[in-house]
Amino acid sequence: MNGVISVGMADFKTARSPDILLTAGLGSCIGICIHDPHLKVGGMAHIMLPSASGSLGGNPAKYADTALVLLLKEITSMGAVSSRLRAKMAGGAQMFAFPGKPPVLKIGERNAEAVEQELKKNGIPLLIADIGGSFGRTIHFDVGTGELRIRTINHGEKVI
Amino acid sequence: MEITQFQLDALREIGNIGSGHAATALSTLLQRRIEMSVPRVWAVPFEQVSVIVGQLDTPQATIYVKVEGEAPGKAVFFFPIESAEIVVQALFGMDEPLDLYTNEMAQSALKEVGNILVSSFLISLSQFSGIPLQPSVPALAVDMIGASLDAIFLEEGLLDDTVLFIDTQLSGIPKIKGQFIFLPDDGSLKKLLGAIGV
Repeated sequence: MNGVISVGMADFKTARSPDILLTAGLGSCIGICIHDPHLKVGGMAHIMLPSASGSLGGNPAKYADTALVLLLKEITSMGAVSSRLRAKMAGGAQMFAFPGKPPVLKIGERNAEAVEQELKKNGIPLLIADIGGSFGRTIHFDVGTGELRIRTINHGEKVI
Repeated sequence: MEITQFQLDALREIGNIGSGHAATALSTLLQRRIEMSVPRVWAVPFEQVSVIVGQLDTPQATIYVKVEGEAPGKAVFFFPIESAEIVVQALFGMDEPLDLYTNEMAQSALKEVGNILVSSFLISLSQFSGIPLQPSVPALAVDMIGASLDAIFLEEGLLDDTVLFIDTQLSGIPKIKGQFIFLPDDGSLKKLLGAIGV
């Protein structure tokens, strides 16, 4: 029986196969999913903002840069090997549009760019991403197979 | 900032007055009896937001209004889809519900409902505190409640670890449910509390 481990906003969790990691209702936030396909362990972070620098600080799992550091530390402490790690991500939507006003700052896009940069910095290949749009996503990540299942209300369901 | 029990009580009172007006406005608009719960005031970390709003991937019609003025903040009203359909149907006097995901007439009606609710909340809050507050143009998302809320939290980069909610549930007879949330911006809470003398 697979366990489903739920990841909240500004939160991160790790798991071993056959457990599944879940985060529900991603809007502008990003779900970063990383796993070691050989050891079948992995983790998921639900980040809200691009960078901890220049911010008020607080919970490090809230920011793309600091959350990734935490996540990688925990995955490698479970025995995963850095050079085998693979990443996928989803989220970064623009949920609201104010008529007549351009979006002040497209936080979803900025989040996605930040995650991409941080992954590159850590030498982890980003295999695929499902980013943008104006709809919410619920994601399930199988740390064994690396399958990322993305469910939406009105934009279908897919596995990447 | 640290919030004392006394201040929490004051915030609950603010919520009470504001959402009482909002419930009356909705009641007038729909010509139905609308009941209001005693407001709850919560300061919660992000990870626990679902304690207040329920399952984060439940579809809801969420209306978001920025509050401008001397104590800015964010006001959010959300309905479960079925309730939103009933509200729209009642407004237009229709036999069949409209599709909220695609029908623009239904969507603008929902924005207007949100606008009326938030405006009446703000008017009473302004009168009570003496601080002028104005609603901005309403925006609507019909989608997972968690997705809508995270976008609202992040607009203009919310940085604190906790979210302060003044949360009132409105329920009508029959079958209308809705939840109202007011999120004061960082400095605004202090200003509002100062204005009412706590």
